[in-house]
Amino acid sequence: MFNPFTRIAGLQALGLGLLLLLLTGFIGSYSKVSFDGVIDMHAGTDISLVKSFSFLAIDIVSLVLVMWFTGLIISKGFRFVDILGTMTLGKAPFIILAIAGYFCTVPDNKEILNNPFIVFQSVSFILLILLSLPVIIWSITLMYNGFKISCDVKGTTLTVAFIIAITVSEIISKILIYFITKNL
Amino acid sequence: MLPTYCPGCQAQLKVKCLKCESCQTEVTGSYDLPVLALLPENDQQFILRFVKNSGSLKEMASQLKLSYPTVRNMLNEIILKIETYEK
Repeated sequence: MFNPFTRIAGLQALGLGLLLLLLTGFIGSYSKVSFDGVIDMHAGTDISLVKSFSFLAIDIVSLVLVMWFTGLIISKGFRFVDILGTMTLGKAPFIILAIAGYFCTVPDNKEILNNPFIVFQSVSFILLILLSLPVIIWSITLMYNGFKISCDVKGTTLTVAFIIAITVSEIISKILIYFITKNL
Repeated sequence: MLPTYCPGCQAQLKVKCLKCESCQTEVTGSYDLPVLALLPENDQQFILRFVKNSGSLKEMASQLKLSYPTVRNMLNEIILKIETYEK
């Protein structure tokens, strides 16, 4: 559950990850859940299919490139396809949030701005937020284990490098999403 | 499995005596164990499998039902152990 990468990596992980990612984008577009960041999700705003897939594509490209670059610095040798596969599969748990979005009623943005406490009146929204925490933690754990196995790095070097890499990839994805998808 | 460490103090053992089963000649001395013999049994099995698979980690990964990087990491650990023994 937390480390499938001892058994699956490379192209196999990439295939499975891409399939789940496509489903995530598809479902997310209809359940109004967008993944506008490597470890980010927002619910309740209308999102086109193109935009939904664009967000996920930018997320994966940012994540993979930053992890690959980090791997080049700290690892003696690794395959790009392992980083690509494990990171793509690491994003898979987000499909749970895309599905959960169907059952969620999100208060209107204007209403929230007028009265932020209105969110507490929507039980399904609160449950979605609560659910997002373990899902994001699960996803980060998968990415961490995927990075660990792909690059064969351990200890403090691994932990520090991963924290920096995931933070940088989140920032890069946010910037790219802003500039690339603002006209979509 | 060949014992490689002293059960009393955990120091590395040496070979003191070798015997010919055919003529009963015994050769005594103080010989270092080969590096491969110092490795744990599962590592030795891994190396045997690696050689039998002509050094193909992909083949090994499919036989062991493990991912390629996992098998490559196992090999890296064995290389580290061998380098430590050689020092």
